[in-house]
Amino acid sequence: MAEDREPRIVGFLCNWCSYAAADLAGMSRFHYPPHLCAIRVPCTGRMNPLFVMSALRRGADAVLIAGCHPGDCHYVSGNLTARRRFSVFRSLLEFAGVEEGRLNLTWISAAEGKRFASLSTQLTQRAKELGPYKGMLRKRIGV
Amino acid sequence: MRQAARRLLEENTVNLVIGYAWGTLPLRTAPFFARTPAEADRLVYNSLCENNLVKYLLRYSKEKLGLVVKGCDARSLVVLLRENQVQRDRVHIIGVPCTGVIDRRKVMELVDGQEVTGAEVTVEGIVVRGEGFEKDIKTDEVLCVSCRGCKYGTPVLYDTLVGEEVRAREENFGDIRAFEALPPSEREAYFAQEMAKCIRCYACRNVCPLCYCTECFVDSSRPQWLSRRPATADNFFFHLGRAYHLAGRCVDCGACARACPVGVDLMKLNRKLIKDAKDLFGYEAGLDPGQPSLLSTFDPNDPERFILGG
Amino acid sequence: MIIRKAAVAKFLDGLLKEYAVYIPRRREGYSEYTPLDPGSGYFWQGLNTQKPPKELLFPHGETLYSYRLRSDGVELRTHFDEEKRVLFGIRPCDAKGFCYLDRVFTRQDYQDVYYQTRRNNTVLIGLACLAPTTTCFCTSLGGGPFDTEGLDLLWVDLGERYAVRVLAPKGEALIKGRPEFVPAGEADWQAVRELEGGALGKMAPVLDLSGLKKRLDENYSDSVWDRVFEKCIGCAACTYLCPTCHCFDLSYEVEGSQGLCVRTWDSCAFPLFTLHASGHNPRPTGKERFRQRVMHKFRYFVENWGVMSCVGCGRCIIHCPVNLDIRDVLRQIIAGVSA
Repeated sequence: MAEDREPRIVGFLCNWCSYAAADLAGMSRFHYPPHLCAIRVPCTGRMNPLFVMSALRRGADAVLIAGCHPGDCHYVSGNLTARRRFSVFRSLLEFAGVEEGRLNLTWISAAEGKRFASLSTQLTQRAKELGPYKGMLRKRIGV
Repeated sequence: MRQAARRLLEENTVNLVIGYAWGTLPLRTAPFFARTPAEADRLVYNSLCENNLVKYLLRYSKEKLGLVVKGCDARSLVVLLRENQVQRDRVHIIGVPCTGVIDRRKVMELVDGQEVTGAEVTVEGIVVRGEGFEKDIKTDEVLCVSCRGCKYGTPVLYDTLVGEEVRAREENFGDIRAFEALPPSEREAYFAQEMAKCIRCYACRNVCPLCYCTECFVDSSRPQWLSRRPATADNFFFHLGRAYHLAGRCVDCGACARACPVGVDLMKLNRKLIKDAKDLFGYEAGLDPGQPSLLSTFDPNDPERFILGG
Repeated sequence: MIIRKAAVAKFLDGLLKEYAVYIPRRREGYSEYTPLDPGSGYFWQGLNTQKPPKELLFPHGETLYSYRLRSDGVELRTHFDEEKRVLFGIRPCDAKGFCYLDRVFTRQDYQDVYYQTRRNNTVLIGLACLAPTTTCFCTSLGGGPFDTEGLDLLWVDLGERYAVRVLAPKGEALIKGRPEFVPAGEADWQAVRELEGGALGKMAPVLDLSGLKKRLDENYSDSVWDRVFEKCIGCAACTYLCPTCHCFDLSYEVEGSQGLCVRTWDSCAFPLFTLHASGHNPRPTGKERFRQRVMHKFRYFVENWGVMSCVGCGRCIIHCPVNLDIRDVLRQIIAGVSA
């Protein structure tokens, strides 16, 4: 059962662009898979790597961080700082054996409902290929 | 060393010199706090001085301090200066050029885990002896992994330099490259083995001069990031989180790995981050108190080929 | 009794039918007690393991109870570890450590059922210590390399054979009727006595701790505490590797409508250990915390139980990241001057 379950994706979406894009995708009636659970963050610059590790620890199979395109950040440069932090953190996770593709970063503007839908689809597909995350960070339930 | 410390104390330039003295066990020196010229005579410096004394700076807010630093220790002090944790004029830095620190665990391997009851530092290395054996060991055979490719043996910052400047070694991330080449499953298995050892005594965190958070994320109860029990998943969470918090700050002094009472290979994570900072952003921590921090700055042209959907 | 070394593997495999057997093992420069697998033979060096066997009776982390909220109420479940265990190759100092845990967890006015359940289900087979190291100081604390306190059996390595001293009914039951054991002769016991003499001869001179309690009673505010802790970095290596340290913390791990109550080791070296919810900390610096560790072991424990809470295993000396040597500390306290 656990082996065949549908993937669980946690999406950290920035308040100003990507979260609005998710809204737009819904209002526009675009079809995309229901696997992504959206969490609104003020800015990708607010992202703490501990959020990502916690998501993987508590059952996520993939994590998406989405924010404004470079140059469009509501706070001028939060996304650019996030990009640098993320590139370091992503490399560290992969080095420690977390497969490439579990952690993803992208830019989706408030006008890109279509892009949100298509990236969600793409990410769900990728998460299905990777299968459930059973790596070392996953909390083992039980006593 | 003793002379320099003695003079500083005698002339009242400082009222406390933090250095090293011989410990109570062979192969061990220990942090030593000299407050009088007589106490300064107990100071020593050699390849067994494995602690990073910069850690103690954060504790003394009143004293004017003399502090003994190796090359790497000096870099960690630079990071603290950069982060406004230390006032430069409160510290008299006694720099010692360092040719590398001996890894006690490697020595123990070389003598098959037999108890070492005596050790002597020689020009080229150390002589260790125990019941029925005596072994001459060259420093290079038992160097800490961080020291093998150390470019900054001579402190980058000092007020007094004790000894001759040393030649920089050639940068060496061979250990990290070899590990990167392994398949992900093998890398994870290696970390699983290492993380299973961890007893969460937090010696690594507590000896690190750059771990100075008032509340560490592992101690937080709101939110409680990880369990307080030392399960492998939780240990891994701790070590990944800690390593990341040191990204662009860790100066590869290796004090955490030497402090670990159960020998967790901590430098794998730290050195990976150091290598990435260098490869991705050309960044080396602790060279200049004026340098910007790695992770709170950016370059508009930072690499981003990993962005999903281009 | 006597058992040939060649017969030990068979004896252990026999035990595995009823017990989980834990033996000290070294791997990758690290040693601890690990479960013995059936048919794997045995590899036993009588190590002073890095990690003491403490966690086999008092685990680093254990679930006390779990709960689940349901529409009709709360489902509660307590968790007892009822595995029957044999700890094989325990050093006398570590066995003595268990006796101190016993005092705390099975005292008359408070019985810790979790600990007691494990304790009752555990048989301790000791191995006499033939090669005390320079960091051993058990004889300064009333122990010794052939000490039997807390043990059910004590084995002594005679070369090709082990001499086995039966010390408690649990130990007797374990080897009763087992064909691997034959009665020992007077010559064997003579050999044991000689080995004991030899081991004692290797011990470092006994530390005179007779004046310690009095000094501690009097010097709570002494200036010796200002310096003696100075290099301590406040980690828990000494407490977690100590066979007698027993302080713990309770925490809750909550997951939606279910959760666990977890007991984990805690350490007086951590500021969090005494931090009040108000933000006040009665032990604000390393000085007070280090003093507490020494006071608890060598003063309060003596007041409560009549013994010092230290067995002299030397682990805190070997593994301290800054070489803060407890023998040195005690000497300084007794002498009343900072080194």
